[in-house]
Amino acid sequence: MSSHSTTVGPGADSRLDLSSWKKVPYIVGGIGLVIALIGAMLDPKQFGFTYLTAYIYFLSICVGGLFLVLIHHLFDAAWSVPIRRVAEHLSVLLFPTMAILFIPIAIMAPTIYPWMTMDPNTDHALHAKHALLNKPAWYIISGGIFLVWWLLTRKLRAWSLRQDETGSAQCTYKMRFHSCWGMFLFAISVTMAIMLWVKSLEHQWFSTMYGVYFFAESVWFTLATVYFLALVLKRTGHLSKVITNRQGHDLGVLMFAFTVFYAYIHFSQYFIIWNANIPEETFWYIKREQGTWWQFGMLLIFGHFFLPFLALLRIDAKLSGTVIVPLAIWAWLMHFCDISYNIMPVLLPDGYDQAPLSIIMVFACMAFIGSVLAVVWIKHFLSHPAYPIKDPRLGEALGIHQLPGATTYVVAQYEGK
Amino acid sequence: MAQTQTPYALLAEFDTPADVMHAAEVIHGKGFTRWDVYTPFPIHGMDAAMGLGNSKVGWFAFVGGVAGYGLGMLMIWWMNAIDYPLIVGGKPMFSPFGAFPPAYELTILFGAFGAILGMMFLNRLPRWYSPLFKSARFAKVTHDKFFIVVESTDPKYSEAEIRRLLELAGSKHIELVEE
Repeated sequence: MSSHSTTVGPGADSRLDLSSWKKVPYIVGGIGLVIALIGAMLDPKQFGFTYLTAYIYFLSICVGGLFLVLIHHLFDAAWSVPIRRVAEHLSVLLFPTMAILFIPIAIMAPTIYPWMTMDPNTDHALHAKHALLNKPAWYIISGGIFLVWWLLTRKLRAWSLRQDETGSAQCTYKMRFHSCWGMFLFAISVTMAIMLWVKSLEHQWFSTMYGVYFFAESVWFTLATVYFLALVLKRTGHLSKVITNRQGHDLGVLMFAFTVFYAYIHFSQYFIIWNANIPEETFWYIKREQGTWWQFGMLLIFGHFFLPFLALLRIDAKLSGTVIVPLAIWAWLMHFCDISYNIMPVLLPDGYDQAPLSIIMVFACMAFIGSVLAVVWIKHFLSHPAYPIKDPRLGEALGIHQLPGATTYVVAQYEGK
Repeated sequence: MAQTQTPYALLAEFDTPADVMHAAEVIHGKGFTRWDVYTPFPIHGMDAAMGLGNSKVGWFAFVGGVAGYGLGMLMIWWMNAIDYPLIVGGKPMFSPFGAFPPAYELTILFGAFGAILGMMFLNRLPRWYSPLFKSARFAKVTHDKFFIVVESTDPKYSEAEIRRLLELAGSKHIELVEE
């Protein structure tokens, strides 16, 4: 592989201008909101499930962004400095944006989660899990999860933004400190979130891998999206100086690793349940072999694992924009299949084709939530430097070693632009 | 000994990593194919200076992995469904799920075999002897000297021309190593 100063994606000469696209999120989001509201009035239960699917779809990228920030600090990484701001802005979407967008789920919860309206004395599984699966616990823990995300993402980004002004290494140490406790609370909060909000749809079920399964899926989806965003922002000029082959290489390698890790986790979950063959576990997968969910399952095996695995196997593919861009779009589709596979069979045992309106509703909810997040993210992105301009590791990230003035030089280049 | 010796290669000694890297760029630029650089430690950027592409070992590992997976599945299918069928836990005689973990292990094992055997094949190993050992100065390659070796089997091999190039590149000592 060549480690020259060649860079991923097309050169700066073909600059991308997205200013004419400014209104797109508002139009798409507005249409989505209108359709979602009409759907909510026609069929509240269907709205609840489709909104939950769309919400979890985008929750993935927010927790994934937080994870990228956390590991950056915990490993004292240099390569990911240029993409860290992208991830930081993704993570701060968790609060307040995602918290506000959670309100419809909080309102619809008794319609979505069957156990909320059941008597625990009539259902053994619910009775056994009643300590966690009761209304007050669900609401209080959900609130606590957002509190943790609020504290963690704000602390990490505030120190990062302060470093843009001071350039002090002290900020790096502070961020590392917050990442240390943050990583534990991240693991617990993401596991709790996905257990309460998705897994409890079928409260009889058991799977101790579910938290890590959602984490693996989220980070895979986030890496694909962040790589895509890095390539786009390189072409728009925001990150044109700082996205080099090194960032492409490491993002590609991580994306490949998480392709395998996700498959490993999901296969292990399936295999353990298949092997033990206990009805209170197998029902979950039997349900997902009915109707078109069978095809979704096959898509997860061949489209979510084999296709990206084989496509990303070679190092030159990991560096090639012509491979990564279509693959990222494919990853968005596969992520949709995966989140649908987890949530929608509860409402539609035979698949989306059982109620064709439901697929329109999912896309409407996704258009709405996605547009809101896009608008907030772009606002954050444009109101701060596009990457941590005074991070002591920035020079190293760009392959400039043993040059004391390296960071100053890069900053001078950035400001002289 | 009276018999005529055939030349094996030209051996050029350099004092610094920068010199040997520059010389490697020159030799690569002239289009030589059968040559190599020997240094006491890895030098960053040498791959690019020598014009080395991506290693081909990955292909051997890939073929090994595919073979391991296929053979593993085949073995388990033959043993469990054909040779000695036993009903265990009400499962089918053969299922790709049950067979996957061992097949996966064999993928890793054969992939590793492919990588190590492919590496040895591409490096023409094992080899007990190299004519370079005849050079007393070459012993310093494990200490503090850097060497470039251009083999006489190179299609562009010309002793006078290569001597001139390597001297220009800063070599202090060039010798002809015989077979």
